[in-house]
Amino acid sequence: MTFSNVPSLQRIEIKKLRQGDNLILGFSIGGGIDQDPGQNPFSDDKADKGIYVTRITPGGPAETADLRMGDKIMQVNGYDMTMMTHDQARKRLTKKNEDVVRLLVTRKSLEEAVKNSMGGYQRQ
Amino acid sequence: MPAEVKQEQSPSNATSLAMMQEPQEVVEETVTIEEDPGTPTSHVSVVTSDDGTTRRTETKDVSSNVKVTKMVKTVTTRTVRQVPLGPDGLPLPEGSSPLGSYTDSIDRRYMKNGGDRFITPQASSTLTRSYNNSYNDSYGEAPESQYVRHYGLHDGYADLTENYGSLSRGVNFRPPRYPYMPNSYRPENSYTLPIRKDDYGHVAQPQVPMGSSTVDLNRSQPERFQAEPYGLEDDRRSLPPEEEEPYELEPDYSTANRRTGTLQGPNRGRTHREPLRDGPRVRGYPDEAIEPELIDERHPYIHSMYSAPLALPERGSMASLDRLAGRRSPSIDSMRKDPRWRDPDLTEVIAMLGHPIDPVKSNAAAYLQHLCYENDKIKKDVRQLKGIPVLVGLLDHPKSEVHRKACGALRNISYGKDNDNKVAIKICDGIPGLVRLLRKTNDMEVRELITGTLWNLSSYEPLKMVIINHGLQTLTNEVIIPHSGWEHEPNEDSKPRDAEWTTVFKNTSGCLRNVSSDGAEARRRLRECEGLVDALLHALQSAVGKKDMDNKSVENCVCIMRNLSYHVHKEVPGAERFQDPSAPQTPGSAGPQRKKKDDAGCFGGKKAKGRKNGDNDKNYDTIDLPKRCEPTKGFELLYQPEVVRLYLSLLTESQNYNTLEAAAGALQNLSAGQWTWSNYIRATVRKEKGLPILVELLRSDSDKVVRAVSIALRNLSIDRRNKDLIGSYAMRDLVSNLPSGQQRPAKNLEEDTVVAILNTIHEIVTDSSENARSLAQAQAIEKLVAINRTSQSARETKAASHVLQTVWSYKELRNALTKDGWNKSHFQPTATVTPKATKNGKPGYDDTTLPLMEKNQGTRKCGSGDMTPMEEPGPDGYSTIDQRDKDLKYKTVDGSLEQTEREPLKNDTNRKHYIRSNRPAVSLVDACDVKPQPVDSWV
Repeated sequence: MTFSNVPSLQRIEIKKLRQGDNLILGFSIGGGIDQDPGQNPFSDDKADKGIYVTRITPGGPAETADLRMGDKIMQVNGYDMTMMTHDQARKRLTKKNEDVVRLLVTRKSLEEAVKNSMGGYQRQ
Repeated sequence: MPAEVKQEQSPSNATSLAMMQEPQEVVEETVTIEEDPGTPTSHVSVVTSDDGTTRRTETKDVSSNVKVTKMVKTVTTRTVRQVPLGPDGLPLPEGSSPLGSYTDSIDRRYMKNGGDRFITPQASSTLTRSYNNSYNDSYGEAPESQYVRHYGLHDGYADLTENYGSLSRGVNFRPPRYPYMPNSYRPENSYTLPIRKDDYGHVAQPQVPMGSSTVDLNRSQPERFQAEPYGLEDDRRSLPPEEEEPYELEPDYSTANRRTGTLQGPNRGRTHREPLRDGPRVRGYPDEAIEPELIDERHPYIHSMYSAPLALPERGSMASLDRLAGRRSPSIDSMRKDPRWRDPDLTEVIAMLGHPIDPVKSNAAAYLQHLCYENDKIKKDVRQLKGIPVLVGLLDHPKSEVHRKACGALRNISYGKDNDNKVAIKICDGIPGLVRLLRKTNDMEVRELITGTLWNLSSYEPLKMVIINHGLQTLTNEVIIPHSGWEHEPNEDSKPRDAEWTTVFKNTSGCLRNVSSDGAEARRRLRECEGLVDALLHALQSAVGKKDMDNKSVENCVCIMRNLSYHVHKEVPGAERFQDPSAPQTPGSAGPQRKKKDDAGCFGGKKAKGRKNGDNDKNYDTIDLPKRCEPTKGFELLYQPEVVRLYLSLLTESQNYNTLEAAAGALQNLSAGQWTWSNYIRATVRKEKGLPILVELLRSDSDKVVRAVSIALRNLSIDRRNKDLIGSYAMRDLVSNLPSGQQRPAKNLEEDTVVAILNTIHEIVTDSSENARSLAQAQAIEKLVAINRTSQSARETKAASHVLQTVWSYKELRNALTKDGWNKSHFQPTATVTPKATKNGKPGYDDTTLPLMEKNQGTRKCGSGDMTPMEEPGPDGYSTIDQRDKDLKYKTVDGSLEQTEREPLKNDTNRKHYIRSNRPAVSLVDACDVKPQPVDSWV
């Protein structure tokens, strides 16, 4: 598993957008320790159970903040996100009392991300 | 909801407004209730149909037909007759105004002559009042009805009753006659048509809305009315939008102003505005609810007369409600007795459906709806008087008020056990008519009525395919897809929309649930209906996402999914390509061969051989779910492993027994076949940690949930690893559901459920001495022996006997069994147990619960790693189907296999059981297997 591009670490700050009663970030996540890492199209290591960004809402807060599809979320507001269940991650990201989330993400090269995302996550 | 129905009967409670507002929902439920009686089985809407969709699970739904609600309140019908006036302002003689001319006369009256023209000597203002009054009446407020006046040429306007100040009651009043009105009905209707000899004869009677006011209609729609709701409030509700045009009398009445003032809501202004221009308008409906204030204003006397309601002006509607509720109230009684008015008889009402004046039509239809509410006799009479074709014809009427009321009447008529009414609607092409209207209208209320009617119609078997033929794609495109939130070409990056649990969606999904049980062809049509499966899945995923899984719409969707999942391995196009080569494909042909094979392998004594099933394990454990780049769509979605998570979520979260049963039934169906996908499904359930979820549900208080879960576990145990897990961890829960001899367990499960559990146990202990040991350790032998010897149910006896024989076949267990005080005689079939497969009235039914084994007829393969034994039972056996379906199938379709299934037990004696050698204990949740489907969540 060697890639020409070494993942880079990015800090992303997203201000949540109020949509109705919800505060949204404008992206979707996949992965988690309770998920099948083998089906994560974005990971290099198929045993990686981390949380990945699977989709970005165009024009949404995440896109504005330059979050990218395929980014692996390492931390959210300082909390480690690499050993969490999917749902825990979701909850961590959607706390209603936090208007801003600061993410620490790792990102592969664009090329790699595109290549890996072809399959897409299958939505249930 | 039966309760609701009852309520209806006793209007006593004045309900709160809030309640009223949501009549629709109520209605639906009502519907269900009513239908139930009609189709006991039907409940299973899903199941109902031939082919077995789901089995009984659905049963309940069927009943769900929407029933029309009858309003507590009685609507009074009253016909106000406007007398055509001559140019001079005088009323024309009756004969003189032909129907056609009617309009003209009206126009003249209003337009040219102005309100003053009114015949009444009194001021025009008076007239106005009278109209208003009449409106009120129409709404059903009995008390007010008195106000209503009849304007007829004949009747002199002049006479005013004391009450009405200016208006005169018809001179001609006769004693009321109430031809059709059932007693119950009567009281409420205070109004009676004026008894004119000729009244109806006149074409040109402009009239006030027939007895039922709009309000009533609305109410009636929701049949389920709760008693409480009835009140004026309902009326208001109906009133509101006066949408259209239609009925306004108005204009010029001097009183108009007043009225306006009193009117509430947006409509107020309206009246004035459109008055003259539009020509004749009759204001049939009181848009406004009854306006107490107005009344007060206008008719001071009223208070004195009917002290109760009116007396409290502010209470307005409530007061009237009270009255209604308490029919007993003296005032009402007295009103009833008022000889001056009578209700139109049914023939007259039906005749009015053809009246040239639209408001008359709509009022007549509304009144019919009211009359039909919960009154089978009237429904029948309407049918016999040929009222149904006329109503159906009105569906195409351009005016929304007219087709709406016609729809409301049809909905009530279509509700109930009397299938002749449903057939009558079908015969005059009512189904395509309803579907056509659905395509045309955007009026949500009308859509609710249409879909409610179709739901009712769909409960009758012979109409299911008709509905599919005429309405499937329209229902899907117009309702299911848009309300499900699913989009054909979703923007990858946009947030998916959530489903909207609207009444229309509920009704439509209920209808499709019913039709989905109509056999293989119906299933094929639904599966192939573009966007349907996609939308249903999307809706369910949305429900899971929002944790909103207990509502009726979700239940309907899951039931449809279950039905469509039935026999997918045999029925979907291209299914052959996925058949599991290791499993015998065609039961019929494979059966014999297999036997031979089995015999050769292990038949020899009944000795059980230990076998490891290594092959099986391997196969299943290594199953690699296919990776797809192309998104799956359409019916393929039914059996993708991804759905497992959806069903498991429903099983985990829903509190609705029907939904639980259907979700378990879907897994049962999907895990039944012998094709690649069912292998995936079985493995996926394990990997998704579904086994503990299912086992947990064995403790459910709902009989049918326990049964569906039990059968699902049986099918899942076709997967060897699942069998080991289930044997180790589910045995106690299974056993705890068994009765102890004649004594029923606390749950008092039905025979079918007990048999299902026994068959599941049988399946689990077959080929697994380890599981048989677990069974013995769960104190099951005592129960099994008791059932075998004392149960009054031959099916239970037989099933228990099977299990016991299997257990005894494991020689290595005999020592332990003997130590516990058992001997061979306990494990042998009792004399009474004769293999009479056919003894049950419902052979088909049994199938589902039969042990998988039976087909093998005694021979099982020993050495082969096949897990196939299960397959024999045939897909049907494993799948949940509607009972009817099964029966049909057995009779007509693949008889061979299926029948075999039914009579499984007979052969059991010959079967051999293999003992599995030591298997490592596995926890129910297989850690290694955990490979949930990818999920992604928007944040």
